[in-house]
Amino acid sequence: MAKKQPRKYFDYPMLFVVLFLVGFGLVMIYSTSSYTSQIRYGNTTHWLVRQAAIAAGSLFLMFLVTRIDYRIFKKKAWANMAYAASIISLLAVLALGVVTKGSKRWISIGGIQLQPSEFAKLFLIVFLAYYLSVNSHKIKTFWGSLKWVLICLPIIGLVIVENLSTAIVLCAITGILIFVISPCSKQLIGLAAGVVGLGTAYLVFGPAYRMERIQIWLDPEHHEKGLQTMQSLYAIGSGGIFGKGLGQSMQKMGFIPESHNDMIFSIVCEELGLFGAFAVIAIFLVLIWRMLIIAMNAQDLFGSLIAIGVAVHVSIQMLINVGVVTNLFPPTGIPLPFISYGGSSLMVLLLEMGLVLSVSRQIKI
Amino acid sequence: MKRRRIRKKISNHNPILEIIHYNNTKIGYFYNMRTVQKRRALLLIVLILAMTTAVSIRLGYVMIFQSERYLKLAKDLHQREREIKAPRGVIYDRNGVILAGNRAVCSISVIHSQITDPERVITQLSSILDIDEEEIRKKVETISAREKIKSNVSKEIANQIRDQKLDGVMVDEDYKRYYPYEELASTVLGFTGADNQGIIGLEVTYESVLKGKNGKILTMTDGKGKEIKNAEEERQEPVAGKDLYLTMDVHIQKYAQQICEKVKIAKKAKRVSMVVMNPQNGEIFAMVNVPEFNLNEPYKLKNVKNTDQMSAKKKQEKLNQMWRNWCVNDTYEPGSTFKIVTAAAGLESGAVKESDTFSCPGFRIVEDRRIRCHKAGGHGGETFREGVMNSCNPVFMDVAARVGKKRMYDYYKKLGLFEKTGIDVPGEANSIMHALKNIGAVELATMAFGQSIQITPLQLLRAASAAVNGGKLITPHFGLKTSKEVLKYEERQGALSSSTSALLRDILEDVVSEGSGKRAKIEGYKIGGKTATSEKLPRRTGKYISSFLGFASAEHPTVMALILIDEPEGVYYGGTIAAPAVKELFENILPYLGMKQSFDS
Repeated sequence: MAKKQPRKYFDYPMLFVVLFLVGFGLVMIYSTSSYTSQIRYGNTTHWLVRQAAIAAGSLFLMFLVTRIDYRIFKKKAWANMAYAASIISLLAVLALGVVTKGSKRWISIGGIQLQPSEFAKLFLIVFLAYYLSVNSHKIKTFWGSLKWVLICLPIIGLVIVENLSTAIVLCAITGILIFVISPCSKQLIGLAAGVVGLGTAYLVFGPAYRMERIQIWLDPEHHEKGLQTMQSLYAIGSGGIFGKGLGQSMQKMGFIPESHNDMIFSIVCEELGLFGAFAVIAIFLVLIWRMLIIAMNAQDLFGSLIAIGVAVHVSIQMLINVGVVTNLFPPTGIPLPFISYGGSSLMVLLLEMGLVLSVSRQIKI
Repeated sequence: MKRRRIRKKISNHNPILEIIHYNNTKIGYFYNMRTVQKRRALLLIVLILAMTTAVSIRLGYVMIFQSERYLKLAKDLHQREREIKAPRGVIYDRNGVILAGNRAVCSISVIHSQITDPERVITQLSSILDIDEEEIRKKVETISAREKIKSNVSKEIANQIRDQKLDGVMVDEDYKRYYPYEELASTVLGFTGADNQGIIGLEVTYESVLKGKNGKILTMTDGKGKEIKNAEEERQEPVAGKDLYLTMDVHIQKYAQQICEKVKIAKKAKRVSMVVMNPQNGEIFAMVNVPEFNLNEPYKLKNVKNTDQMSAKKKQEKLNQMWRNWCVNDTYEPGSTFKIVTAAAGLESGAVKESDTFSCPGFRIVEDRRIRCHKAGGHGGETFREGVMNSCNPVFMDVAARVGKKRMYDYYKKLGLFEKTGIDVPGEANSIMHALKNIGAVELATMAFGQSIQITPLQLLRAASAAVNGGKLITPHFGLKTSKEVLKYEERQGALSSSTSALLRDILEDVVSEGSGKRAKIEGYKIGGKTATSEKLPRRTGKYISSFLGFASAEHPTVMALILIDEPEGVYYGGTIAAPAVKELFENILPYLGMKQSFDS
C-alpha cells in the first residue's frame, strides 16, 4: 500500500509581495534621500547603499528561516530566551543607549546600531505564541487571560518610556494574540477599551509634550510646531490623483526633514499620487491577507499565533504610519514597514516574514 | 480502503480544545486553530479593513479635495521670487539729447535662512558699505525672505561684496537715475526716489510713461532656501519704460539759465525765473528757476554748510523751497505785463480804438482814491497806442472802466485766467481773483494794470500767447512725444479775433521799438513785448518783481519769453533790468531758431 505523501505547500504570493515591498522601499529611499544625501555626503546613494546592504543580508536570513521548520522554536527555552533578551536589551538601551533626535532608542554593538524595541516585537510574538498555544486549553477565565497581559507588561513598560508608538504596537500584538486564544472576548474588549481610555487620558493630562501633540494634531496649520505635519500634508496634497511622477517630489528637498524615514509615505503620495498610495496600501492588505490565510491553515496553534502576531505587527504599523502622515492621528514617529529607512526595523520584519513563510511551508494540503 | 483510526473530538468542557483519539483512546490535545478562533481572526480582518478604509478615505480627501489648496501652499513655499528691474524711460530734449538717463547700480540684500556666518556678513557689509554694524545686525537677524541693506550701490562696491562670497548676501542689478546736466532744468525735470519713482517735476507727471514693469524670475528653492539648479524656472521679462521727448531745447535752456544766473548775481536778486515758449502751440523751450539744484544730489541743500543741526522738518521745508518751480507753483501780481490783457479786452470789446485819446495828469481819482501813474508828472495827452507804449496807468484804468467788470471777467475767462493752464508739470497753482460782486471801481482800476489779482507766470504767458497768436488759447507743455505716441494738447480757438491779435502785435512791437521796452530792441528783428515792475505785498517794503514779456517776431511770433526777477537790489524797473535780459536771450536764440535778421528800414 503506497502511502500518499502529503504535498508540501509554500506561500509564493506572500514571498513575492514581500520582495516587491522591499524593492519598492529601496526605490523610494533612493528617491527621497538622494538630494539630501548629495548635500550632506556628496553622493546620492549614502542611505540607499546602507539600506540595500541590510535588505540583502536580511533577505538572506529570511530565506534561511524559511528553510527551518518553525516548530524547533516551539520550546520553552526559546520562549524564555526571547523574553529575557527583550528585557535585557531594553534595559541596556535605557542604561547605555545612544541618544538620537532626542530619544534614546539605539544601542551600539561593535559599531552597529541596533534598535532593541524593534527586536522586542519579534521576541514578544515568539514568546506569546509559545506560551499561549501551549496553555490555550488552560485559559478559560478572564483572570487567566489577564495573567498573560501582566507577564508582557514589563516589556511594554520598558519601551513606553522612550517610544510610545512602538509600545502601542506591542500592546496591539499582545492584546490581539490573547483575544484570539481566550474565550472571554467580551471582557477583553472591555479591557482594551479601558486601556485606550487610559492612554487618551495620559495623552491629555500627561506630560506637556504629549498634550502638545494633541494640539498640533487638532490644528497643525496654526500651531507653531505643526510645521512638520503641514509639510507632510503639503506633500500628500500636492500629489493629487496621479502624482508628480517618481523622483519629482519637491518636499523631499529639505522641506520634510529625513523624508526617507517615517514620513516616506507622504513622498510616495506626492510622487505617485492617490493611485500609487492606494496601490501601496493594497499590497500591504494582500500581505496581511496571505498571513491570515496561513494562520488559518497552520499545522498548529503556535504557527497560527506567529502568523497572526506578525500580521498585527505589519498592519498596525502601516495604519498608524499612514494615519500620522495624513494627520488622521496625532504625530508620532513610526516607520512604514519595509519602506521606511531603518536597518533594525527591516531586519526584524524580514525575520518575521521568514518565520511566517516557514509556517506556510508546513501546511499540508 | 482502511478507515483512519485517528479521530478528533471537541472537548465538552472547553469549546476550543480538540481531543485526539487513537482507536478510541485519548492520546492528547490538538492545539490547532478552532472555528471560534478562526472567527476571531476573521474579526481581526474586519478590524484591519475598517481602519484601512478610514485611512484611505482620509488620503482621498487630502489628495483630491484638499489637493489644490496644499499644492498652492507648497508652491508658495518652494518658489522664491527674484525681481528683474526694468529700466526707466529716458528723457530726451527735442533734439534727442539725454536729460535723464539710467546708470546700472546694484542693491544689496540679505536672506536670513542662507546666512552661514552672520558675524562675517555683519562686519564685512558694515565696512564695505560704511553702515553702522547694529543696523545691519538687525536686518541679518530678521527672519524674513529678504531684507534690503542698501540700494544704489555702485558696481565697484558691489563687486567688492561679490568677491567676499558671503553666503546669504544677494547683489542684485538695479538702475539709478542719472542727470548728465546736473542743475539744468532741475525744477522742471524733477528726480526719482530710491525705488526709481518720480518725486517731483516731469518725473512725476510722466511716471506711468517712464516707469517700466519689473520682470521676475520664479526659482525653486529647497528647504534651506537654496536655489535648485536645473529646476523649472518661470520667467517674466521686464518691460522697459517708454522714453519721453520734451519740447525743451537744451541749448535754449542753457542760455536762459546762464542769463538768469547772471541777472541774479548782478541784481543780487532772491531768485530769477524765465520761461521760453512757442506761443503758437505752447511748446516750452526752456523754463528756468535760479537758484537751481543738482538733480544728482537732490537732498543736498545749497548754501547750507551744516545741515546736521537742522531739524528734519526744517530741512524738508528748505528742500521743498529749493525744489519749487516758481513759474508753475506760485502766483504773483503780474503788474504792467497784464496790461496786454486789459488792452486785448478793450480792443476786442470795441470799448477803445487805438487812436482814441486820453490824458494823463500823473494820477486818476477813482472814487475816494488817488491812483498814481508811474510817471509822477503824467504823460499828458496820448493816444491809446501811445498809452500802451508809455505803460500809462490812467489810460488802462479808463479802458477798464469802459469795458466794465462783467465784460472784463468774460475776457479773463476767454484768455484762460480762471483756470489752470494744464501744463504737464505737477502742482500747478491757480489764479486768485476777486469775486465779481466784490469788484468796485477801485479794484477794476487797479486790476487794469495788473494789481489786486494773483496769477501764475504761466497763466500770463498763455493769455499773452492768445493775444499775439491770432486768438488761440494754447496749453503750455513739455511733453512732445513718447517712444510710442505723439502727445496731443488742447487748443481753444477764438479767445480773441485775429484782427485784435494783429493790432496787439503791432502795438506791442512799438512798445519795444519806441516805448518802455526799448532796451529789448535788437537791430534787424521785429520784437514785441511789455515791461512790468510789480511792488510785492505788503507794499512799501521796497521789494519788487521786475519782469519783461517779449516775443519774436512781432509779425508771426514763434518764441515768447518771460523773465521774472524777484527782489532785485538797486534799480528795479522791468524796462531797465528785465528787458535787456530778454534781449540777450533773443540775440542768442533767434538765429539759432532760424529767424533771419532783416534791415529793411
